[in-house]
Formats: sequence, structure tokens, C-alpha cells
Amino acid sequence: MSSTGWERIPGFVSVKEAHGETTVTVEPAAIRDACAFARDALGFNFLVDVVAADYLGWGAKGVSGYIGSPAGRDLNTPMTQGLQSLPETKPKRFSVSYHLLALRKGAPRARLQCWIDDGESVPSVVSVWPTADWHEREQFDLMGIRFDGHPNLSRLLLEDDWEGHPLRKDYPIGGEPVRFSDAE
Amino acid sequence: MVNKPEPRLRDYGLQSERLLWPTKGPSQFEEELGADELEQALGITTLEKAVRWAQTKSMWPDTFGLACCAIEMMSIVSARHDLARFGMEAFRSSPRQADLLIVSGRVSHKMAAPLRQIYDQMLEPKWVIAMGACASSGGMFNNYAILQGVDRIVPVDIYVPFCPPRPEALMEGIIRLHEAHLAGVPPAYERREVAT
Amino acid sequence: MTVAPEKQTAAAWPVVAPPQYEGSRIPARVPTILDVPAGLRETDDIMQINFGPNHPSTHGVLRLIVDLDGETVVGLSAVIGYLHTGFEKSMESKTWWKAITYPERIDYVGYQNAELVFVLAVEKLLAIEVPEKATWMRMLLCELNRIHSHLVYLGTSALELGAVSMFWYTFRERDLIMDLSEMVAGTRMHTRYFQVGGLAEDIPPGFYPQARKFVEWMPKALDDYLGMLDRNMIWLERTKGVGVLSAEDAIALGQSGPNLRASGVDWDIRRDDTYLAYDQVDFRVPVYPEGDVYARYRVRMDEMAESVRIIRQCLDRLEQMEGQPWIADDRKVVLPPREELHTSMESLIHHFKIVTEGYRVPEGEVYTAIESPRGESGCYVVSDGGPKPWRVHFRAPSFVALEATATCMHDSLVADLIAIVGSLDAVMGDTDR
Repeated sequence: MSSTGWERIPGFVSVKEAHGETTVTVEPAAIRDACAFARDALGFNFLVDVVAADYLGWGAKGVSGYIGSPAGRDLNTPMTQGLQSLPETKPKRFSVSYHLLALRKGAPRARLQCWIDDGESVPSVVSVWPTADWHEREQFDLMGIRFDGHPNLSRLLLEDDWEGHPLRKDYPIGGEPVRFSDAE
Repeated sequence: MVNKPEPRLRDYGLQSERLLWPTKGPSQFEEELGADELEQALGITTLEKAVRWAQTKSMWPDTFGLACCAIEMMSIVSARHDLARFGMEAFRSSPRQADLLIVSGRVSHKMAAPLRQIYDQMLEPKWVIAMGACASSGGMFNNYAILQGVDRIVPVDIYVPFCPPRPEALMEGIIRLHEAHLAGVPPAYERREVAT
Repeated sequence: MTVAPEKQTAAAWPVVAPPQYEGSRIPARVPTILDVPAGLRETDDIMQINFGPNHPSTHGVLRLIVDLDGETVVGLSAVIGYLHTGFEKSMESKTWWKAITYPERIDYVGYQNAELVFVLAVEKLLAIEVPEKATWMRMLLCELNRIHSHLVYLGTSALELGAVSMFWYTFRERDLIMDLSEMVAGTRMHTRYFQVGGLAEDIPPGFYPQARKFVEWMPKALDDYLGMLDRNMIWLERTKGVGVLSAEDAIALGQSGPNLRASGVDWDIRRDDTYLAYDQVDFRVPVYPEGDVYARYRVRMDEMAESVRIIRQCLDRLEQMEGQPWIADDRKVVLPPREELHTSMESLIHHFKIVTEGYRVPEGEVYTAIESPRGESGCYVVSDGGPKPWRVHFRAPSFVALEATATCMHDSLVADLIAIVGSLDAVMGDTDR
């Protein structure tokens, strides 16, 4: 879906096109209305996925610029090893992305994204698409993001008495130490 | 439990590797242990050997398929790698009726409790095969969710490596288990004091 | 029946109910939990049964807590997570090259498709050109894998409903597919054959004749299966009208793939949101309107026949591409051929850097979706420009399919429970990741 026409969405912050995909950033408090708008006015009747990503430590180590394929090769800055570029900073710690699809010709897809910090919560969109039930439970389980108004917000994949949220960046990988392996 | 020092496998006189299929006749193990020509000629045997032979020929596995290895475990029952020739195609769903627990797949911590419960519900004599890398040692998943080796909670007789093991590899493991049992090697819960 | 919700410290916010469409059978309180009706709950007739993680039917470790009134299912709740492996966390600590081994084990029955979705997502971020031969071979292997997945579905579902001999027939064909896979990639399952940029190795010489033999044999096998099941009164009685899922419910519940097409919605990502070279092959998309277990079975049977057609077209095309490259030649991402390592210093350095540090993928986030045998399988990748993924998430079609169990289970008997769960074709590795 093109980037025009998204300004009318409730809670609109910005829209971005990259890699052929449209990412619309929305205020977290307005996400339920934004999703309802997307479903009713824009025709995105299918919620594909709800994903949260933790950006704690993003860009802390610094990464050198990519110099690989023709799309990224820049002859004027060869051999950019070392801390010469940092990735674009993120507004807050967590991003919650809702991947939407319209079941019509052309398969328009969109990503509604909102940004929250640890401890903040996002309204649940179960009232818009019932399939969000388990997706939101999974993100609560693994990332610790609370969804207001979810009818059954409990752990889904881990045991009920598990402590912590494993997919966060400050949660260790676990497992047992293996000789001669660095990060694995 | 057992007070005497734990017997090593070599005390049973097992020295040679099993030759691969097709080997006709009694296996190397039985020959080394001095399989008695007299016994074979006259068709007599001790009661223990007869019982072990019978147990080997109808060792029914439990349906404990967890992940990818379960698909390969299902395919040993299929027509090409026919497990029925060993009398084992009857996968019992109830652990009370099963002799062999083939742990096929990665065991998460959430699943560890049901696994131990199933193992406890099985009646002696019972054997455990840890099929695949994930059951043997946690495999490629060295993380918070996966039990690093199923031998942390159940005693294991045979470990079958690879990810997932070929059906032939699993059958090799099963056949080695049969031969070890025929030779008199006790099941794992009698040999190790782990989680008895 | 309730599952205790997390203790909420703040003042309880109003709980929102899922939308109710006209004629919707989605449960009103929680869409994925079928609640015992209020009148029945007070009586003593309800028996709660645990259809535990280890059960006779072969679907892996799914736990269903079922309330029964006699033989009728009046309450249902699914508990998953017994196979949660922490894939997404593990992949964050592996380089991009090593991380390809992980997606295969997520959907372990449709493993080529799972590999494909991750590789396509990384290639999208890299904006790398994949050679034509690799694209067509990927398509061939994915269709072969689709047949494999549907064969496993058919064999196990029929086995559970009592048609025991179907298992042996379908696994006979499955072994033929495994032979082809072994010939190409060296191992039967979890091949790690798809690499970023193309394929790991060239197609071996004997592959095309053997694939053609398979393609000639498969339609006869499909006729066998239809002959065994389609006129079998027991099969028809047990599958027709059982577990009905309407089209609106299916879309609201996020169903995709055969589950969606069996409810009458004509949607196939291969045709509508095309990837690889599916727009250059000719195939039909089976759609059945009834939405019951029988419709899902027919959709998968027809899809197997269509996959055979696609494979035939891929073989025709691939045989003309002998000698073409099978992987992109961008040496910053793709390993150089081994013979060059002896002569070229740059190749040696590239090989060293790619193997030890890993190639770097530019910063960005993408979501790629393909039509796996189970439905829309997607991969959301966030890269920070480094050698390891920052966040990988897999949209699992089986996860979403199991959300529909409560809706399908209205007025079902215990025996139908098995049929319905089997027909949704959920692979627990895919569900729990």
C-alpha cells in the first residue's frame, strides 16, 4: 500500500517506506482506534502478526557500514571496518508492530508500529481482530508487554510460574556453558 | 539399590562393535559370551535367557514423539524401514503397556515434568532411547527453554545421534539395545543411580 | 471454564470482547476458549478431561483441557508451549549464516518452506539478486516439501480416524521424496540447502530423471488415496459437517492456507502476493466452501496434485538451465568456490571473514510471507547492520490455526475432536517456536 492516505489514521505520527513495505508509526494509546480504522476504512481485514522488538542496547556496540552488494557499495568509503556508523536511533525501548494484510487484489500489506517503554502498556486489539488473542499473549509472555483490556492475559508458551521475559535483551540466553564457544 | 561396584560393560565380555546388516545367525555379542553350541543344538536355555529373548522380540515403544525426530520415528514403522520385523510396530499410547521410551525430539522444561511422569508410569523392565541430538544433549538449542539432555531426568540406555537420525540409524540403536539386553546388560535404571 | 489471568496490579481496565459477526461462532468472552454454558456449569454432569501433551494422536505435544457433557464437548481450552524452544532468542546469538539452520526446525514437516521464508527475508534486506536456476530449484523443492507435508498430514490424520493403512501408503511416497532430498542436499530432513543468495550446491546429475519418475508416479498414488478414502462411508461420516469454520470466522481468526481455502476464501499467497517464480507457472488453487474437515482434506489432496504440476513445469525449465550459476556471486555474502581458495587471496580473505565473523546485513526491518503447507508463514527480521540478527520472529500458521479450535468445536463429540485437530494441521514446533 502506498504511503499516501495514512495521515487520516487516528494517532498518526509518521509513515515510512522501505524494502517495498509501508511502516506507519502510531501513538500507542490510539492503536486500537488505528487498527479499527485500518480494518474498516482502509480494508485491512486480516491481522497477520503482532510482534514486539526490544531495542535495549541498540547501536551500543556500533556497526560498520555495509559494503556488500551493489545496492550498498560505496566506492568513496572503502573498507569501512570499525565504528564508523551507528544505526538510526529508536524513539523508545520496545516497538510493537502489527502486520496487516488486505485480502484483495494486489495484497496490500502494512505495518502499524507503536513505541513504548518498559512498564507502559498498549491497548489490546482483540476487539478488532480476535486472532490477536494469542499473538498478544505470546508477546506478553516473551517480552513482558502488557495489553490493556485483553480478556485472558496469561503466559502462553512458558510455564505459568516462569519469572522474567526471555526475549528481552537483558535476559540471558540460558543453557549450559560450552567450552571453546564464545556466545553460544 | 545395588551395593557392589557398578559393573562395566566390558565385564560382560562385550568387546566388538556390531557388524552392520546383514549379519546372519547369532550376533558377535552372543558368540563372544560363549553362546553354547550345546544349547543351540539341543534347543535348551536358561530361563533368564529365554525371557530376555522374548522381551527383545516384542519391545513395544511408547508414542512419545515430540518434534522433528518424531517424523523419522514414524517412518521406521513405514513400509521401507519396517519395524514390524522386530515385533515393535505396536506403538502403545499408554505408558503402562509400553516397554521402550524413544524420546524423539527436544524436551523443553515445560515438557520435562510430563516426560518424567510418563517414565514413572512405565513398568519395569523399561528402556529409554534418546533419539537425536536434542534428546541426547540439548542439541543445537543451548538456551533457557530446552533441557540439556534428557538423561538429566531419566536414565538413558542408548543415544542415537544426528539431527534427525535417519530411520536406519534409529533402527541400529534399537538393534544394539536388543543385543545388549540379550547379552545380559541390565536396563539403565539398574546401572546408574540417576533419578531412580 | 477459566484459565486464571495474570494478577493485574493497576485498577482493572475494562475487558474488551472480540467482535461478533453475523452468525459468528467465535466464543464471546475469549476467542480461543470455549466456555461451558452457564446453565450446565452448575450441574454435576460436566467431566473435565485432560487431553494431555502425550496422547495417542500424532500431533505432538498439544494439551487440550476438554469439558465433556456425556460425549459432547462443551468446553475447550488449548494449552501450548510444551515444545517452546526459544528459537528467536537462539537466533539472536548466531551469525546470519548459522541462523539458517534454525528455521527448518520450527516447522519441521514443511522445513524447506521455513528455510525459504527466512532466506527470502534476509535477501530482501540485502537486496541481493538470486540467479534464476536457484529460484526455480527453490520452487521445486518447496513444492516437493508441500507434497511431503500433506502426505504426513494425510497419513497421520487418517491413522487417527482409524484408516490405519493410509499411513503406510503415504509414507511410502514420503520416502520417495526423502530420497530426492537426500540426493540433492545430502540429508533427508533439515537440509540447510537454501542459502542467502541461492543454493548451497549445484543440482546433482541424477536428479532430473529421478524427479521425473516421482512426478509420473505421484498422480497414481493420489488416485489410490482418493479411492481409499473418498468413497469410504466411515470417512465421509466422520469428516463431513464436522468442525465447520465459516469464512468470516476464518478471516477474523487469521486463518490462512488450506484452512482458509476450505472455508471458501480464495486466497493463495503464491498467486496473490507472489514470490519466487510462481507467476510464471500455471497452477490452480482449490477452494471449497463448506469449511468442514472434509473440505480441508480435499483442499490438501487437490493441492498435492497441483504441486505435481508445478514440479513438472519446474523440471522442464530447470533442464534448460544446465551450467548456470546456482548462487549469487556477491563474495561479501556468499562463500567462494573451494577451488578458488588455493589460488586467490581475496577469496581466502572473504571465506575467512564470512565464516568467522559472518556477513553483515544492512540495517532495517522486513516482513516476508510465503505460502507454506500450513498457511501464511512469515518472517519478521530486524537487523542492526551487524553480523547477527537483532530480532527474528516467525509468524507461525499453526499457532494461528490452533486459535480456531474453540470455534470449530461447537456441538462436537469427542471423536470429532480428533478429526478437527488433525484437520487444522498444526505442527507443534511451528506453534511453540
